[in-house]
Amino acid sequence: MLGTSASPASQEGDSRIELRAPAPAASAEDAEAVLPAVKIEVRDLKFYYGQALALRSISMHIYDRRVTALIGPSGCGKSTFLRTLNRIYELYPHQRAEGEVILDGENILGANVDLNRLRARVGMVFQKPTPFPMSIYDNIAFGIRLYERLSTVEMDERVERAITKAALWGEVKDKLRASGLSLSGGQQQRLCIARAIALNPEVVLLDEPASALDPISTQRIEELIKELREDYTVVIVTHNLQQAARVADYTALMYLGELVEFDDTETIFTRPSKKQTEDYVTGRFG
Amino acid sequence: MAVAETASDRPRVERLAKSAAGSGTLGDKVFFGLTYSFAALVLLILAGILLSLLIGSWPAFERLGLGFFTSVSWNPVTEKFGAVAPVYGTLVTSLIALLFGVPISLGIVIVLTELAPERLRRPISTAIELLAAIPSIIYGMWGLFVFVPFYKAYIQPALGSSLGKVPIVGALFSGPPFGVGMLTAGLILAIMILPFIAAVMRDVFETVPPLLRESAYALGATTWEVVWHVILPYTRTGVAGAIMLGLGRALGETMAVTFVIGNSNEINASLFMPATTISATIANEFTEAVGDVYYSSLIALGLTLFFITFVVLVLAKLMLRQLAGKVR
Amino acid sequence: MISLYRRRRLFNYFQMTASVLVTALGIFILASILWTLISYGFRGLSLRMLTDMTPPPGSAGGVLNAIAGSVVLTALGIIIGTPIGVLAGTYLAEYSERGKIAEATRFINDILLSAPSILIGLFVYEIAVVPTHHFSAWAGAIALALIAIPVIVRTSEDMLRLVPNDLREAATALGAPRWKMIVQVSYRAARAGILTGILLALARIAGETAPLLFTVLNNQFWSSNLDAPMANLPVVIFQFALSPYTDWQQLAWASALLVTASILGLNIFVRLTLGKREKRS
Repeated sequence: MLGTSASPASQEGDSRIELRAPAPAASAEDAEAVLPAVKIEVRDLKFYYGQALALRSISMHIYDRRVTALIGPSGCGKSTFLRTLNRIYELYPHQRAEGEVILDGENILGANVDLNRLRARVGMVFQKPTPFPMSIYDNIAFGIRLYERLSTVEMDERVERAITKAALWGEVKDKLRASGLSLSGGQQQRLCIARAIALNPEVVLLDEPASALDPISTQRIEELIKELREDYTVVIVTHNLQQAARVADYTALMYLGELVEFDDTETIFTRPSKKQTEDYVTGRFG
Repeated sequence: MAVAETASDRPRVERLAKSAAGSGTLGDKVFFGLTYSFAALVLLILAGILLSLLIGSWPAFERLGLGFFTSVSWNPVTEKFGAVAPVYGTLVTSLIALLFGVPISLGIVIVLTELAPERLRRPISTAIELLAAIPSIIYGMWGLFVFVPFYKAYIQPALGSSLGKVPIVGALFSGPPFGVGMLTAGLILAIMILPFIAAVMRDVFETVPPLLRESAYALGATTWEVVWHVILPYTRTGVAGAIMLGLGRALGETMAVTFVIGNSNEINASLFMPATTISATIANEFTEAVGDVYYSSLIALGLTLFFITFVVLVLAKLMLRQLAGKVR
Repeated sequence: MISLYRRRRLFNYFQMTASVLVTALGIFILASILWTLISYGFRGLSLRMLTDMTPPPGSAGGVLNAIAGSVVLTALGIIIGTPIGVLAGTYLAEYSERGKIAEATRFINDILLSAPSILIGLFVYEIAVVPTHHFSAWAGAIALALIAIPVIVRTSEDMLRLVPNDLREAATALGAPRWKMIVQVSYRAARAGILTGILLALARIAGETAPLLFTVLNNQFWSSNLDAPMANLPVVIFQFALSPYTDWQQLAWASALLVTASILGLNIFVRLTLGKREKRS
């Protein structure tokens, strides 16, 4: 079921409820754009754990430079779906995907796809902070070194830029050589975000990035997500409805491996088309 | 607003299609190849040991045939060799080692898991593990120079005059108190293997669900009863595996045994008499073996030891499989 | 007539006392061994021991050549065995969970772990001494390596398994090829444990005698030739302890003290520094 947002946020004007920051990029020509560009088109995506079918024919669009949230009760398949977008599941022999996931015209599920290159363009941040057992500096440099040979000065710059973009620079600039594990949970997660965006990906996948964090860290991460939207396409899985309402431009509700409804966030939360959606967002189930 | 501040920012990976080089990087292939071949090497090592023993012992079997396994003689001059005495010695010393080692290990594990206060557990545990770390040659030296005099002066005479007088059983404890002999070797082996048995037994005991133990105690059972009637049956297979593991070690032990067994290629009923084991024979005579048949017979002994130990260790592994499953 | 209850109590008391007694016995034996080493070995300790070579029977001397030889053999054994052991363990932990080769390797590895070291000695004799017609330090080093490998394989695999998958996924999600993910992330995370395994293997092979008897034998003099027999402490101890000469016996005890102190010291060191993140396996 494709997203059918008939009226883009810009045309909605003042009548919309203030659920999230203005969606479109700050471009003057925006008024003519009806829908933002499609960054990833998912067609008939199925996913199997061994013989068990976990995702049933999902089709949807993920829009460029927007935040798309995946919500739904535990076990609905939202993380599974997220993990097909960078094919991280390939690490595990009994997991496989069928269908098409088209990134800028290329099907990333194709047989001839170089996974490392894919992951340079589609970055991921995990549920639990996963700093490498190295210094803060090396955590960031690790990814960059996979692709580029930079002089120390250039690397220093890149590292600083990434950490700054992740709103962490002030807290770590004096201890870049300290172990990544010496940071607090919230800082570690921002380090992981910095690590992912240091590669300048086009898409950033966030798998419940704040679920292991305290409320203040969560808030900072959410602010960070809104900033990230300017440069990257963000797909975020969250079990926190309010979080989705706060940060996402588009929201997809999943249930039992199926896509129930996909629309811009405001619609999902205020005028959903399906009863199931309404039940979920109002807390009647889930 | 453009995201890439400078062109050098964005890694040059526009298209996703794999390069002509094919799947996976060269580094991946090389690394995988290395790890795979070294893993396979482990298998080759075992195969290699078996093969070299077979080849090395062939001349002996050619000359002596299967009579090798039934002959008691060991005569380098006439080149008549038989495995019976060494095999007998190996089996009996190992049996004695188990007879003494297992109950002692059980006692230690009971102390470690049920009796000792928290603070003492670590030190006792460490002490037992240090026993395992001591090289076997040290056991041999201690055995010969410290244990044997003591044993010869007190234990042997005591056994001789008490159990030695009992009909039938007495035959086991007859003969002059040499000090060295089958029993001595068995006792030293017992000390050597008890850390291994105790360590595995303790691991096995720890897999018992706490609720099971607690419910037994809650019924008013004494500690011994809990151990004997609840814990041991539950961990039966694992304990058997631990015992087999200890047996495997005892069968192959060389240096400690060589010092205290007396190195005599004879079979006697009495445990007081000197004897020999497979590994002691090999260790003592290998460098002086002259002639193909002599040398080859020693290898044949090694082959025999290989089979005996292999069977025991495989059994141990199978029994401990369940434990491994739980801990992993 | 003792009631059943009292009988049970008594029996339990008896068993518990017996358990405590045997435990005390075990600890007593450990103490006895250490005490023997210290008292007998101390007498033989002298500066001379560390400066002279092994003497002919009936004269004084030292064990410098044996110490040097043991250091060389043990070091070589570890140098050869570590890469093989770590990489094999890596295969088992990172590449193949249930494959046929993996299962077989694990099984056989555990057998080799407890296999009689004398058989390893015979094997290396056949492949290294017979073809070259002489004993050599190389042969001894190979034999020691073969004893070290199963230990290192086992600990490497166990330690690598403990590395959480999240870390691996994070590295992979950045586009790291598998080998880089293993070497730069997994190995780093499991660093302490793998090192422990190597040190424990070191402690194990430092005391082995039987395999050296058939491979490197001994050498009365100083030798730095790896292609020839080399002096080493375990064989020297074996030879000297069983000899009738008091000088030799004294040297044997002193050497035994040296070897045991090193090995126990290593064990305790490992336990203290790396035992904080200890995991039983």
